Amino acid sequence: MKTRFFACLVILLAILVTLPPYPAFAAKAIVIGCPLSTGFPDGVDSERALRLAVKEINAAGGVNVAGENRPFKLEVMDTRDLEPGVPVSEALLAVEKLILGKGADFILGGPIRSEAALAAMDLISRYKKVSIISAGVLTPAYHKRVAENYDKYKYCFRMTGNVVTEIRESVGILETIKAKHGFNKVFIMVQDVAHARAAGGKIKSMLEDKGWNVVGFEKYPTGSTDFSMGLLKAKGVGTQTLFYWFDMPEISILTKQWCDMKIEALPVGFGASMADSSFWDATGGKCAYWVNVWPRAGCVSSEAIPLATKFIKAYKGKYGVEPGVTWVSPVSYQAVYVLADAIRRAGTIEPHKVIAALENTDLESVWGRTKFDRQSHQIIYSDDPMKGALTTWAQWLDGKRVVVFPPKIATTAIKLPPWMK
Amino acid sequence: MHGMGVLIYGTINSIYFALIAIGFALVYGISRQPNFAHGALYILAGFLTWTFLLKLGLNYPASIILSLIITAGIGAALYRFLLIRVRGMEASEIIASFAIGLAIMEGLRFFGFRGKTYTLPAFLEGTVSIANVPVDFQRLIMTGIGVVLIAVLWLFTHHTKLGLALRAIAQDERAALMLGIDSDFTALIALALGSALAGLAAIAILPLGNITVETGYNILINAIAVCIIGGLGSWGGAVLASFILGFAQMLTVYLVGAQWQMVVALLAIIIILIARPSGLLARQKELEERV
Repeated sequence: MKTRFFACLVILLAILVTLPPYPAFAAKAIVIGCPLSTGFPDGVDSERALRLAVKEINAAGGVNVAGENRPFKLEVMDTRDLEPGVPVSEALLAVEKLILGKGADFILGGPIRSEAALAAMDLISRYKKVSIISAGVLTPAYHKRVAENYDKYKYCFRMTGNVVTEIRESVGILETIKAKHGFNKVFIMVQDVAHARAAGGKIKSMLEDKGWNVVGFEKYPTGSTDFSMGLLKAKGVGTQTLFYWFDMPEISILTKQWCDMKIEALPVGFGASMADSSFWDATGGKCAYWVNVWPRAGCVSSEAIPLATKFIKAYKGKYGVEPGVTWVSPVSYQAVYVLADAIRRAGTIEPHKVIAALENTDLESVWGRTKFDRQSHQIIYSDDPMKGALTTWAQWLDGKRVVVFPPKIATTAIKLPPWMK
Repeated sequence: MHGMGVLIYGTINSIYFALIAIGFALVYGISRQPNFAHGALYILAGFLTWTFLLKLGLNYPASIILSLIITAGIGAALYRFLLIRVRGMEASEIIASFAIGLAIMEGLRFFGFRGKTYTLPAFLEGTVSIANVPVDFQRLIMTGIGVVLIAVLWLFTHHTKLGLALRAIAQDERAALMLGIDSDFTALIALALGSALAGLAAIAILPLGNITVETGYNILINAIAVCIIGGLGSWGGAVLASFILGFAQMLTVYLVGAQWQMVVALLAIIIILIARPSGLLARQKELEERV
């Protein structure tokens, strides 16, 4: 009797152990290859968001492909492209490994650095893999290249922003500051990488056209650890605003030096690490008064965008912290849903049909609506969440990120540091 | 103000270079071992201090001492269990130590030290104005640590028995062996000391910014650049080279533009190698080369 009981117990345990831990899918998984620089906040956040979306979609039964429910399978590979020196060749190797080694059906995420993503376009097109950039790549060259050579690069879509949009909004917020405080001197500090150089150059000419006096323009190599001379120059020429554009984590050094040196210039611009909710603690509060663009709404709860609240809650529930890098986490999360929606409508994973479906996307998203420009495959921006993707500008105040621009969603006016009053 | 700014921040930048390079120079000078794990040990010390201080709740001095002991221990173990076996085979020494460095840095990434902004708090918050140039206390403390370290190292290598033994090995290993100085033991001490110096540099410098694994690669490259300019193995040359690089970079940012500061370091290496192939103060080696 005892032997039988134990035999039954062993068989039962064996059955339990061999049972799949997750909803079982008879259908073949759709493999999403994710080339990401996983050693950096952007890569980490993007991977987390992608995994969250895949988990949610699979838990809900997977993607309906012509009546068959197929799960997503995520394959992440480190591209290292955010490292100093921008190792583009490593990023390309990662993309190729994902396609050939991991059998990726689609490419989502990066490469994150513009240089690497531009180089990967040929590779992606050669293998006819539909790709959606959902982390990084702010250079306008990306969507211009698609528009100019549609037949070749039609596989490439981009859901992140691009410098042109961000610059237009940057000029908008600087003009608001000019109108309120009478500032007309700006010192530009950017990272010496493609998108940041483009941003700096463009804003320089646009601000000069609007009567601003651009009193300095510095480009810092990736990995720079000292900004003192640049800040002293800025102080020496009496600038009132400091326009910055960096995606390297060393921006924390810039914020600390700006605060320690009490530079009488309001910093406005883009800092990837600065968007992270932990940035306040990381700088000991020295990022106070920095006005930073969150290239995409979706990381801050908003009554106007219910899906943003849902995303933040789900992200915090899974990872214990709020989504950090706003230009990658909501975008990566939403990209999986956008792809699932396109596959469902196409009824196949055949690239050309998915491309057509993606071009017709009109989906409620964590930042408003997602629509693509049919010629350039660039996501369409709007300041109305019902019409397109929304951008947010916030200022670090008392440990919180407070929305200050655009006026429609601003909750407070821009404040100046005490040493500027 | 800019001239004074260049002077003050040039000095600070020079001490920064001296701090990151002196450990590498010391190890090579004494044991002729190119410690390519130098950058990894630097960043490891930063993460160790961060863990002891902010995760385990130890106080700052205890966290620093523990990190330095562990870093020195790893340096000693690196020699005792690995480098000793390939001693004299320069290519193997470089590959072995670089591999260990890679393992340390990739190990840190693997165990989750990535993505987040890790920072060490400043020893002292606040700013002081020197000739109208604002400087934060942490930079002044870092500069002080650098100056004291250079002085202590000079005294150690010139006025203590162990220090003299280290120099004897560096100058003529065979003669030192005949006088009863244990070559392997001094090399082990050199590796431990050099690793601890990398750790000390990290603890002094990292509160200025943040701790990222990738910094380790930059530190190694900068340390090698300084040592090549100064003359491999000459820590006096390393200090001199630090000042040349430190001021050259600041002047470049001031006169030309920040984007050229990395180019200056590379140009300096090329120029020095053309003018003095063995570096600024590596006289002995230069003579050997001529013979």
